[in-house]
Amino acid sequence: MSFERINATFRSLRFRLMLLNAIVVLLASMGTLIGLRAGMRFALVHELDQILSEDLEEIELDLAAAGAPNSSTLSSQLDRKARGHVEHRWFVQIRDMTDITTAIEGKRGSDASIDRLAPSEILWQSINVPSELEHSSIEATVPMTVEGYRLFDRIGKLSDNSPVRIRVGASMNLIDRDLTLIDRIIGIAFGLGLVIAPLGGYWLAGRVTRPLATIINTADRLRPEELNERLPMRGTGDELDHLSHTLNLLLDRIANFLQQRKDFLANAAHELRTPLAALRSTAEVAMRSQRSAQEYQELLGTIVEESESLELLVNQLLLLAETEADAETLMMTGEPVALVELIERSCDMFVGVAESRSIELRYQILRSSIVKGNRHHLRQVINNLIDNSLKFTPAGGKVDLTLDIDMSNTMACFSVQDTGVGIAIDEKPRLFDRFYRGDRSRQRDAVTRGTGLGLSICQAIIKGHGGTLSIESQIGRGSCFLVSLPIYQPSVRQDELTD
Amino acid sequence: MRILIVEDDAVLGAVLEKGLTEVGHVCQWTQSGSSAVHLLGIQNFDVLILDLMLPDLPGLEVLKQLRQDKRDVSVLVLTALGSVDDRVHGLNSGADDYLVKPFAFAELVARIVAIERRKTKTPVTELQAGTLTIELTSRLVKRGEKEIELTPTEYKLLEFLMRNSDQVATRRMLCEHLWESDWEGVTNVIEVHINRLRNKLNKGFEIDMIHTIRGSGYELRAD
Repeated sequence: MSFERINATFRSLRFRLMLLNAIVVLLASMGTLIGLRAGMRFALVHELDQILSEDLEEIELDLAAAGAPNSSTLSSQLDRKARGHVEHRWFVQIRDMTDITTAIEGKRGSDASIDRLAPSEILWQSINVPSELEHSSIEATVPMTVEGYRLFDRIGKLSDNSPVRIRVGASMNLIDRDLTLIDRIIGIAFGLGLVIAPLGGYWLAGRVTRPLATIINTADRLRPEELNERLPMRGTGDELDHLSHTLNLLLDRIANFLQQRKDFLANAAHELRTPLAALRSTAEVAMRSQRSAQEYQELLGTIVEESESLELLVNQLLLLAETEADAETLMMTGEPVALVELIERSCDMFVGVAESRSIELRYQILRSSIVKGNRHHLRQVINNLIDNSLKFTPAGGKVDLTLDIDMSNTMACFSVQDTGVGIAIDEKPRLFDRFYRGDRSRQRDAVTRGTGLGLSICQAIIKGHGGTLSIESQIGRGSCFLVSLPIYQPSVRQDELTD
Repeated sequence: MRILIVEDDAVLGAVLEKGLTEVGHVCQWTQSGSSAVHLLGIQNFDVLILDLMLPDLPGLEVLKQLRQDKRDVSVLVLTALGSVDDRVHGLNSGADDYLVKPFAFAELVARIVAIERRKTKTPVTELQAGTLTIELTSRLVKRGEKEIELTPTEYKLLEFLMRNSDQVATRRMLCEHLWESDWEGVTNVIEVHINRLRNKLNKGFEIDMIHTIRGSGYELRAD
């Protein structure tokens, strides 16, 4: 259990952010400090080089004035210099061609004892003086670092123009001491960073992940039956706000869907139970007392009629469910269907009804086409749309069916235009809701009676065929239902199918 | 006709047995597929009414065994599965007809008769019901001596009613016959045509030959 919790902590976003932050901060500060140290060292060495090269130039001038490298004036001058640079363990070595060597080394204060810090023999021997420099004077020399000493070599000249070799050097111990100090500071800074970076990272990651915790908590409280709560928006407009907003929109859609389902269930319960209640009551009333054969006929007739309306409703509900469940496969498994044939049959089916209501039902085929799908379902769509238009068109009106192909030549367009009562704008979005009946068909008179599922079925079937169903309508002027279905373009010969 | 009913629902099975017996058939009813197979092995039946969803043996399995044994019995399948695919599957499995629950009892009766008629297949050139006659080749309709002009739809309707005379033709049957589609809707698309046909047939006659059977459909009876 505790292991799991530790595991969860390690895997948490906050921990990982903290870790990443610490690593980045430490690496960055390490880099900076190391860079600073290198710069510092360079500056210190450069400063020492400056001093040494100045000394070298002075000695060179002094030598040019002196007759021999071991003259007393030169010696005292060099001595003075050495004393001035005692903390640098400064030294100078001069050697003429006769190998007479003067070596002056840094002395500590008035103490007469000489620090033998730079054994002259070793120093000379360890340095390769290029042979061409042996007898010539050079203006500037390159400093070298040997055994902790910084050295400058040069070929100088005495007053009699004979060459001498000069070496000025100083220990780098002071620089090393300074650098050690710097290293110590870097160490302390790094140690502090090691503590502060994770702590800061932890705090920072906490700040970032806190809204996430709120989102998680809120989402945790949400239940399908209670989707009223929404994630808080902090108004910062950042990614987390964006996330909350997106999730809220998702919640809206889910809530809407659930509400629709709820409404559907309530409606279905009402629509199914009412005829069932009528059925049962009629049967019970029939049995309550002895009746004449005529009366029994009458009551049993009612029962059969109620069963019929129940049957219609159940069939439509199942068709709707079936269409929605098979939406993906409707087109795939479908057969090529010539729309013109379906339209002709449907018109023939309804022309009698239309005439009896004094409505003119006509169809015109501008360009016919073949779609792929379920013949019976598509027929149902056309039937429903014609039936629907006939219901809401007053006597003397017209219902016109048109079949055409759209501009892109990919969709078959089929429209049912009526001169009926029309549909109000606010009714439009609800038109395809299951069990929705327009205000005018609420009265359930003989003509406009229906299950309220017709258009839902149409839409489900058309969607399943990859098409669209839309409405254009003006109150009092009529409505036009437009169906678009993708045209079937087979690789096989077209005339095979139209036959 | 000797009919074997295979239906596991007790209420539906009993009512079918009772109803079909009353119509004049000899009926036997069983609730399981295996006993149906057994009965078919020892007795002769003209028609088998078979429910597809049986508890022990699927109806289609019964059908398969039946066809393997090459028994000459017409099969009418009853089922709650009404999609087109189911129908096609059922008919491909060797059923003669297919009826989706719930159905009008009259339709069941009519279909049983139709199945048997299809089997005998005696070619007819004329249909007659009382004074009404149709000459099928010339499409001439006469009531008594009076010739009656009909539209193609009306003619088709009358022919169907005549072929099923003294039996109820349900609205569904008529729709399927006339327009090859069962119209699932409240609007009565048949009524208009029936009324027109009725007016034409009855003009100058007193007796109405087309009877409306409430909740079921229409029936043509001899005058």
